[in-house]
Order: sequence, then structure tokens, then C-alpha cells
Amino acid sequence: MLLDYSRLGWLRYALTGVAALVCAYLLAPIAVIVALSFGSSQWLKFPPPGWTLKWYRALLADPDWLTAFLTSLEIAVIVAVLSTGIGLMASFGLTRGSFRGREALRALFLTPMVLPVVIFAVALYGVFLRLHLNGTLVGFVLAHLVVALPFAIIAIGNALERFDVAIEDAAVLCGASRTQARLRVTLPAIRLGLFAAALFSFLASWDEVVVAIFMASPDLQTLPVKIFTSLRQDLSPVIAAVSSCLVVLTALLMGAAALLRRGRPT
Amino acid sequence: MTAPFLSICGVCKRFGDVAAVDNISLDVDEGEFVTFLGPSGSGKSTALYMIAGFEDPSAGDILLRGASLVPVSPDKRGIGMVFQRYTLFPHLSVADNIGFPLRVRGCARAEITAKVADMLRLVRLEKFAHRMPHKLSGGQQQRVALARALAYDPPLLLMDEPLSALDKKLREEIQFEIKRIHNETGVTILYVTHDQEEALRLSDRVALFNHGAIEQVGSGRDLYERPATRFVADFIGNSSFLRATLERRDGACGRVEFPDGSGLDGVALVGEIAAGAGVAVMLRPDHVHLAPDAEGALGARVVATTYLGDCLHVVAATSWGQTIDARVPLGASDMRLPEVGERIALRCEPSRARAFAGGK
Amino acid sequence: MRPGAAARRNAREFVGVAPALALVALVFVLPVAALLLRSVLEPQPGLQNYAEIFASATYLRVFENTFLVAALVTLVTLSLGFPVAWLMTIASPTWSGLLFAIVVLSMWTNLLTRTYAWMVLLQNTGVINRALLGLGLISQPLPLINNLTGVVIGMTYILLPFMILPLHAAMRDLDPAILRAAALCGATRGQAFRLIFLPLLASGIAAGALMVFVMALGYYITPALLGGAANMMLAELIAQLIQSLLNWGLGAAAAFALLVVTLALYAVQFRAFGFGAMREGR
Repeated sequence: MLLDYSRLGWLRYALTGVAALVCAYLLAPIAVIVALSFGSSQWLKFPPPGWTLKWYRALLADPDWLTAFLTSLEIAVIVAVLSTGIGLMASFGLTRGSFRGREALRALFLTPMVLPVVIFAVALYGVFLRLHLNGTLVGFVLAHLVVALPFAIIAIGNALERFDVAIEDAAVLCGASRTQARLRVTLPAIRLGLFAAALFSFLASWDEVVVAIFMASPDLQTLPVKIFTSLRQDLSPVIAAVSSCLVVLTALLMGAAALLRRGRPT
Repeated sequence: MTAPFLSICGVCKRFGDVAAVDNISLDVDEGEFVTFLGPSGSGKSTALYMIAGFEDPSAGDILLRGASLVPVSPDKRGIGMVFQRYTLFPHLSVADNIGFPLRVRGCARAEITAKVADMLRLVRLEKFAHRMPHKLSGGQQQRVALARALAYDPPLLLMDEPLSALDKKLREEIQFEIKRIHNETGVTILYVTHDQEEALRLSDRVALFNHGAIEQVGSGRDLYERPATRFVADFIGNSSFLRATLERRDGACGRVEFPDGSGLDGVALVGEIAAGAGVAVMLRPDHVHLAPDAEGALGARVVATTYLGDCLHVVAATSWGQTIDARVPLGASDMRLPEVGERIALRCEPSRARAFAGGK
Repeated sequence: MRPGAAARRNAREFVGVAPALALVALVFVLPVAALLLRSVLEPQPGLQNYAEIFASATYLRVFENTFLVAALVTLVTLSLGFPVAWLMTIASPTWSGLLFAIVVLSMWTNLLTRTYAWMVLLQNTGVINRALLGLGLISQPLPLINNLTGVVIGMTYILLPFMILPLHAAMRDLDPAILRAAALCGATRGQAFRLIFLPLLASGIAAGALMVFVMALGYYITPALLGGAANMMLAELIAQLIQSLLNWGLGAAAAFALLVVTLALYAVQFRAFGFGAMREGR
């Protein structure tokens, strides 16, 4: 009876009330930031006294922000591609193979996702100092790859588990080699999982802050790092403008992910 | 005259424009075993859920011992129910599951232990008291569910297709158990199923549902020998329907004439049918026999035969294109069996046939 | 299958795993191991760093504060998240989908954006104080930022989705028929909640609570931006020790302490609820 909405009595109103409050709690701050990015007050007065686009213009005019944006983009795209590739190969092994320690290996691959990032960030910072990899593109890509890989493995792993191996085996029986079968039969069948893996890997790298703070140098900054350092100085509405852009980007990417989910035959 | 034990009065349930249950009325006596039988989607489970309290009727009333159940919430109705899905509490042992209703009523520990032991004896699972549900087979889980539902001596026990997830042999075993428990406890049972054999085996009376309404209520024999509508005749048992014209009425019976000229006298008429109107004549296979000669008999051509050991099931096509089923008992071992393609003559027992309004 | 074929197939599948294994081993495991080694090797071999951390009142306060914040945040997210997950499970598909979309959008929105939002809102001259002053409920702005309040508000905001989603997943797995059976047995809503609903959700609650607690323990950004110097948390301490003070030995020791606590918590959950519970969430 507790899981029947119609039978809850007064609980129904209590639950709806709390849910409404929580939704407001979750959405309001984002709405306020987006509103403030169009507000004319430099001191972030809310409600804004007037409306303007000057913060966005300042954002686009500032070369530092543009560089940070492009850096983030470059790293995230490379990470998305590599993470999907490595994750794909690993997922085949994890779902199809039956070697000993398979479950332990899967747990190992997912560990970067469950342990506090700061430990990883600091550890990598130390090693990269010796190898002079801090502040380099390679260093960033390697670091973000570790962070993004769990997402790829989960997304592709789910897709592979839903895919019936018998179809791949049938292709082999038809004469294809195992690799050919995988390339021409399995991959197209799990392409939604591949897109999801790429999408989440991209986002994981794009949004990653903690490791980036340690990896960054004055010459090579990702967007989150620039936001973070700006925040420590002042709360300029330009940051509100950047944040609004990021919110829109997230919403678009989440919409894409939702479409992917709907395209999947359940 | 005393009020009936359970009274369903004009109950309807509408979901938007669709009437899942359409004005059903039924009286049940104490201690009766009544089955709601019907195809999927006929409203029988919805009706049961309204009695349990998980759906509210759009109209009508449900009375238990004269008092309306509708305003009472399910946890206060004191009715027992066994579901189609296994609903044992997974984190409690068998004994704790059965004792749960007594525990929430605040019964004393000793009382609970004694009652649980009684119930385990009733369903013959004494050795399983401390087993966890996931270690039980499907049949055992349903028996524990039954014990739990009976633990607080409910006036009414509802069962929603409890055996449909089990295989045939197990189903028959547990059907036997249910019948035995019904006899031992005397509890009133409302049982939902789509399996007519199960319904006929278990119940005192059967209510046949179709599109949310009850087409007929009666014992299994009533439904089989005196179906009130074409649907009942079709659903219960096997039958063939042949179109014919009502040539002459003699009170409740009449003469029907088939398109090939042959006819039957003394066929019972169901409903008001005018002479000359088209009818559908119901013929049960075991009342259709091979005629020794073609004089006045129905001519047909054999389409298929199935040897069933004790009889031969023959499917034949009439000259006007309808099929008719016949069961030919196999007595003498050197009997000649009809073959496919052969022309045969069939004689039907008119007293067992029934004519329904509207030809096919 | 021929005897050698199975072994060959396994070997080939293992090869596929090799790049990922190399990456994780070289870029993750080795550096973390190196870091831990530094905790016992710098500046001199021995456990002095640990002694220093656990003896010093300042550092101990950081540990205390971290656990306090993590516990508070876990409690608040559980209290707020449970009703939301519940509603999400039983509401109509439209409303349920809407709730889900809001939670997921919130979860994937940039962390800095979300933290920044609260920095703006919680200022003395920010929206909240302005509103409360305007309504006459207070006469002085409330200190909502650079203190425990700000950190808890901000981190609850960030971590709520990570409590709601595992709870929702666990509730979705519950068969409503079981709760109907409980009602028919005579259990009131309160009894059914206490005796059936909660026990069956125990592993889901543990999964969500653990995930939130561990994330809160190790969080760097939000406490750094919303908290004050008086309530520094462990992650910021580690960062400061290493980046600002270049005290690798001490920083590594603090990092190792955080790692051990995290692993211990996961071990406890694994022991109590098994592997399946750890896969909740995504």
C-alpha cells in the first residue's frame, strides 16, 4: 500500500510538498545565476535592476576565457575518443572473458570513480613533477583519461551485456573472423552505448576541476580551473555568464543522452 | 431471510472512458467457494481488487455481513489475499511471515507461536518454519502466503490467479490442497482464474466474466449444460456453432433448419427468437455422432482426425462451409475409422443442442 | 570446444583489457602507491608524519570537522532525498520523469557553477539575506557563508542527486504487491513502513548514504569555496600541505588517512550488503 500513490492519504501531500521544495532548492540557484548573467548590476543584485548583455560581450572579448574554453574542448574531445576506444576493448574482455580475477579487474577500473579525487590529483601531481608532465597536454589527457574511463566502461559494459553474443557467434559461423564480426556486427549494434560512453567521457573531462587545478600551469588552463581561480578573487558576473553557458551545454548534452536512451530498444 | 454474507451490488469501475467492471452484482454465502472465471482483461481481477480495497468502485457498493466495505481502508478490512506474484516478505522467515499479521495486531508472543504452528500444520510445511522465502519453491511460497492470509481467521479469502506461475502437475497438487483447506476451515473463498478446468475443479459456483460484466453465475454443471449466452457456451467446454434458421417455435424449443436442408427438432431456444430469424446452434462434440445412414442427417466431409486413445476427434466441414467437431467413441477394436476427405453423416442430439439469437 | 580453444579465447579477451590495465596501473595505482611511500619516507623514513598529524590539535580538528560535515550532509540528504525518491517511484510517469530529469540535470551541471550559485546566494548582500531582511524576519544579515552552514547547504545541494538515485533504484526494485500484502495483513501505514518498507530498503539506503558520506569526506572544491578557515576539510588540508607548503610527507600522510577511511567504509558496506549494493547509482 505504501507504493500505491492513491492509497497514501495525507502522506501524499507531505511527499509532494517535500519534493516540490527540493526541486525548487535544486533549480532556483541555477535560475538565479542565469538571470544574474543578464543583470546589469556588477554586485550581483537580485532581482537585477536592469538587463544587459555586457557580461557576455566581456566574456567573448577576453582572450583568456577563449583559450581556456578551447583547451578544455581539445582535452575533452581527445579524452572522449581515447576513453571510448580503451573502454571498448576492456569491456569486451570484461564481459566475454572468463579469466580469473575478472570481477576484481572491473572493480579496479571503477576505482577512480569511487575514491576521493584529491588523492589521485595529488599523487599524479607528484609523479608528473618528476616527469615534467605538469602543464602539458599529454599529462592532462592521461589524467582525465583515468577519470573518464569508468564512465566509458560502465556505458559500454551495459550495452554489451544487453547484446546477445549469439549474434556475433552467428557472424563467425558465417565465415567472419572474430574481429571482423565485432567490427561489422557488434559495434553497430552497440553504437548507442558507444555514443553514451563518448558523451559521459567528454563531460567527465570537461567538468573535471580538482585534478586540473594541480595539472594546470599559467600557460595551460582548462575552463574549470580559470573559473576556480576567478572565484577565489571575486564574484564577477562574467563568471555568471560562463556558468550560464555551461548550464546550457549540460542541458543540451543531457537532452542528447535522453534521446539516445529513448532510441535504445528496451 | 438473512442478508447474504458478501454482497456485490451494481459495482462499476471506470478508467477514463473504459469500463473495466460494468455493473456487476453477486451474492455469496458464507463458506462458499466462488470463482471469477474469464479471459484476460475481463475485469475479474479488478473486481477482486475492489473487494480487497486497492481500487475504489466508480459506482455501486460492496457489503460484508451487511456493512459497506468501500469506506474502509485495506488494512482495516481483515480480508485475506493470496496474489499471483510471490509476496512473502523476503527478510522474514516463514514463521515470521505467517506471524506478521498477528504481530501487527499486538497479539501475545505465545499466542503467535501457537497460531503459526497451527497454520504450518494446515499447509503441511511444519519443517519449514525457519526457512527464508528465497529458499522455497514457488508452490511452497504460495502455501506460506495462504497460511499467512488465514492466520488471522479472516471472514473472506481472496485468491488472484495464485497458481498461474506454477507448472501443471504442481498446480493440480496445490489445487487439491486448497480444496482440502477450504473444507477444513470453512472460510469463504473468492478465486480468480482464466483456467476453466481449475474453476470447475475447485468451486461451488462460477461467475463467468466478459468485458467487465458477469455473463452467468452458477455451478459448473449449470454453465456447461445450460449456458445463458453464446459467450458462455463458447468459453466453457468445447462446442461448434452452426448457423441455421428457426423454422418453428414450440414454446421454449423449436425446429431449426440448416442451409443444406437438414434440421433438428426440439432444440432449446435461448432468449426471445422469432420464427424465421437466424440463429447459431451450439453443438458439443460429444453429442455429435456418426449416423448409420444419410437419411435426415447432416452431411459433412472429414477435414482432420485426431486419435485420442479412447475416442477419435473428427473435424468435418459442412456443405455450406462451417466446421463441426465430433467425438467418436472407440469401442470395438476393429471399428472402421473415418478418413480425411471422406463424406460422413452426422446425427446431433437435439435435446443437448441450444440455439442462440443471431446466426454466425 | 576444443581444449586449447577456451584458453586461447581467454588470452585474447585478456589482451583487450591490457591497455586499460596499463593505463590504470601506470597512471593511477603507481602514483598513489608512490604518494603513500612518500608519507613514510619524507623527510625521513619512519612514521613521524602520521604522529604529527594525529597529535596536532589543528590537524585533528580538520579530521573532526571533515567527519562532522560528512555526517551532517549525509543526514540532511537522506532526510530530503528519501521523500523525493519515494515520490519518484510512485508518481505518474510524467511527473516521475520530470523529477528524474531535474535531479539528473542538477547532478550533471558543472560543479563550479553550482557552488558559485550558492556563493552568490549566501553572501551577506546576497539574495537570501536580502529577502529575509526585506520581509523583516531578521534585522542583521545572517552569516551563511564561510562557515559550517554554508558548507552544509552547498554540499547537500551538490550531493542530493547521489542520494536520490540509489534510493529510487532500490525502491523501484520493491514489488508493490508485497506492501499491499502487508496492508491486508493488517499493518497500518506506520507499521508497514517500519517493519517492511525500511528493512527491505536497508541496502539501498546504505548504498546512497555511503556514497554521499565518502564523497563529502573527500570533497575539495565546495568546502574550499563556501567554508572558512576555521572549518577546513581534509581535502583542502591535503592540497594546502602539498601545493602551498610543499610538505609532501605530511600531505601524503593525510591523503593516506583519507584513503584508508574510505576503503574501510566500503569494506564495511561490502561485508554487510554484498557487492551488488556497490553498483547503485549510475
